Amino acid sequence: MTTGLTQITIKLNGQPRQFTVSGEETLLHVLRERAGLTGAKKGCDLGECGACTVILDGRAVNSCCVFAVQADGRSVETIEGLGSPEHPHPLQQAFIDAGAIQCGFCTPGMIMAAKALLDCNPRPSREEVRQAMSGNLCRCTGYAKIEKAIMMAADVIVKYAERGEG
Amino acid sequence: MAEHDRRFESVNVEVPRLESILKATGQAKYTDDLRLPNMAYAAIVRSPYSRARVLSIDVSEAEKVPGYLGCLMPEEAPSLYFNCSGNPPSPLLMADETVFTREPKVLGDRIMCVAAETEQAARDAADAVRVEYEVLTPYLDVAAALREGAEPLQPHISSDNVIQYRDVSQGDRKAGEAASDIILEDRFVTPHMQHVTIELTSCLCDFSDGRHLTVYSTSQTVFQERRIMAEILGLKEKDVRFSKPMVGGGFGARQQIHAQHVAALMSRKLGRPINLSYTREEDLYSVVRHGSDVDLRVGAARDGMLQLFDTTFRLNGGPYTTHTPTVVAAAARKLQYKVPNYFFHGVSVFTNHITGGAFRGYGNSQLTFGREILMDRLAAELNMDPVELRLKNQVQVGEYFPCASIPVSSNRIEMCAKRCREIQAEIDAKAPLIDNDELCQAWGIAFCCHGSGPSNKDGLSGAIVMLNDDATIQLLVGSADIGQGSETMECQIAAECLGIPLSSIQITAADTLTTPYNTGTFGSSQTFICGNAVALACDDLKRKVLEQLKIIYSDCRVEEKDCRYCISGSENLEMSFQEAARKIMFDIKGGVMIGAGTYKAAACPNPFSVCFVKAEYHKKLNAIRLLDVIQVVDVGTPINRMTVEGQLEGGIAQGVGYALYERMEINPRSRRTLSSDLLHYRIPQMDDMPQTYVDMVDSYDPYGPLGAKSVGELATVPVAPAIVNAVRYASGQEINSLPLCDKFIILPSRGKERA
Repeated sequence: MTTGLTQITIKLNGQPRQFTVSGEETLLHVLRERAGLTGAKKGCDLGECGACTVILDGRAVNSCCVFAVQADGRSVETIEGLGSPEHPHPLQQAFIDAGAIQCGFCTPGMIMAAKALLDCNPRPSREEVRQAMSGNLCRCTGYAKIEKAIMMAADVIVKYAERGEG
Repeated sequence: MAEHDRRFESVNVEVPRLESILKATGQAKYTDDLRLPNMAYAAIVRSPYSRARVLSIDVSEAEKVPGYLGCLMPEEAPSLYFNCSGNPPSPLLMADETVFTREPKVLGDRIMCVAAETEQAARDAADAVRVEYEVLTPYLDVAAALREGAEPLQPHISSDNVIQYRDVSQGDRKAGEAASDIILEDRFVTPHMQHVTIELTSCLCDFSDGRHLTVYSTSQTVFQERRIMAEILGLKEKDVRFSKPMVGGGFGARQQIHAQHVAALMSRKLGRPINLSYTREEDLYSVVRHGSDVDLRVGAARDGMLQLFDTTFRLNGGPYTTHTPTVVAAAARKLQYKVPNYFFHGVSVFTNHITGGAFRGYGNSQLTFGREILMDRLAAELNMDPVELRLKNQVQVGEYFPCASIPVSSNRIEMCAKRCREIQAEIDAKAPLIDNDELCQAWGIAFCCHGSGPSNKDGLSGAIVMLNDDATIQLLVGSADIGQGSETMECQIAAECLGIPLSSIQITAADTLTTPYNTGTFGSSQTFICGNAVALACDDLKRKVLEQLKIIYSDCRVEEKDCRYCISGSENLEMSFQEAARKIMFDIKGGVMIGAGTYKAAACPNPFSVCFVKAEYHKKLNAIRLLDVIQVVDVGTPINRMTVEGQLEGGIAQGVGYALYERMEINPRSRRTLSSDLLHYRIPQMDDMPQTYVDMVDSYDPYGPLGAKSVGELATVPVAPAIVNAVRYASGQEINSLPLCDKFIILPSRGKERA
């Protein structure tokens, strides 16, 4: 068994953070066990459920399938960096308002996957939403309200952006 | 109650769940998010065989794993038999399971446990334990287990692998046959389905001092789990605390003890808190919906009236009794049609398949599947409309289901069917049914019912409301919110009953240390059973407030109307609830206002559902595609319309998976399941879902809190038979088993062509 440890620096929700990690350690493990950010969930640890989705340099990834050393020098966004109970992000507010949250275990991963989608495609079609979100499993909602929430949030974000430009 | 009297402020409205901001921001804490000082991790060594005998165990390699802390050998755990089911005690629930076993009877059976400083080290150590087995031939299906000469799997319970027979009947079989102009029969087979809660099963147990045990776990039934754990560990219930953090879905999978006993014993041995969390593979093997094998015979007169319903209902229970006999018993109570001659012969069978447990539907899914297909075949034989045939036979208010002891108390199923037809007409107006050389589209339907609370009326719940001096309320209930939204609904019921805003209520739930007893979250009972207890507690509080005001204003007349208090006599004033709360708390003749309610199920009102499905068959490909699913329900008063919609949409998704492709698949050579991860056990993804339309009709049940019945289980039961009926019409092929991927190629529901 290897005991080689590496020092890495991750720009975590905008702040540079240093961690000493083993070569086998996943980004999910670092987030949950070392950074104390338990918003990313472990639903399979195999890259199949999407509950651990975070944004790595602008792309949604299953953090259970990214080695921590691969995140060295890169930017990671998690649900904790998105918004707070006092100041939720439009996606977080839309998930609440649309009733897209039931047990909530898939929610952080869903919201991060949706954030990555809207960051690169601010006006997705419903079909694009369904395709982009198909790596994130939900067993409670049947997805109808999640799809609705993402469309609602896209409207809000686009309106904010237009107002900002105007 | 007349309809015009029902004006609600806090119920029959759409309310986002109270805790959803915590879930949306990643702040919500689930079991595996909790950390205790000095916590260690445990992993279970499990049998890789469906049936075997342990010959030897060697932990010497495990001991070399860095971070290894210790092991718990089979002989270190109590050897008493228990039943892990989270039902209240019942003679049906035979005890035949032990903490560890040297004779594994199912893939994943618990052999022993190891602990280490990290989760990975615990898994590495478990993998390093060398167990030598003598492999035995498993009986994976009912037929193999019942074959003459099959060895008994639980000889202290059964010599022939039948756990129990359950016979329920009325009328006369011969008379039913004689009165029937048409008798149809077939055998229907449904697969083992896994719950696939997105949160993995997990517990954190602190039994460091060996006297007081604290358990945080993914639990639906904290009070039953406390009772079972106290029995296993020889403790008093007062010394066992079960506390439920956020739970990431249940659907029945957490209506039982999982490995809390193992973690508790390890915690006592090491003197440290223990986290024991399953992998997805362990979760998939832990419990399933029973596979079924059902012989069904239905007879009707020429006018369409049913004369005979005759079934032999066999469930594959796996090697431990757990829930199986109660699932069979519950299935017998869900026949919503008037049938004078009714014969239910239930058979619970021990096998070496994955252990069957509670799963949303609880026997209803398996029996309704065949029943609703036969009803359609009957409609065709009689040349009747399938909806009309069902409505004609539907049990009405004041009438009884076959063999039932209480009459139906509310029923708006006719309105459900009417509303489904309206939505159907809108869909067909936009996209008329296609039937050409390539493609045939068709609609299929199914009806179903369920209960509100356990159908044997086991349901019991307490509730406590404590009044603060600013007229806010602390609400304490034992019921577990596992994601279905019961905490929000209970707060809504309290707000409505007390006439105060929802924001004035703070709930504490499902902690055996601080909340009153509740049978548990199962049987679609939290709205009806716990909701009634909350309503009674609120009545009690209001009564006590009035009594206290009468003590304070002893020489006045005190009256309450619409939560305002009129005091007249030597003093004349009118007080709001808020003013009354403050007066009572701080007056010299004041008191502490605590309202308590207990509700023991006096009824089990049936909610009803009608489901319509539009599907298409691709003739050259022998492929099917689901297009639209409509479900309209009578759930009494929907306490939270948003939650009910969510339950219906989620129930449809589980029904879609059940109908199309979900199954614990067995490799016939290795005799093990192949379904070890979510690629080999597929649940519907967002892109797989057909368009869904859900609605609820205006209804009110006299037994329900504010008229409410239930929705959770109901929502998934009619979906698979409605899908099958649509596919039967579209393809022209008869179907009597699931999943449909055995017969057809399954196309994504909303592909590019329909976008």
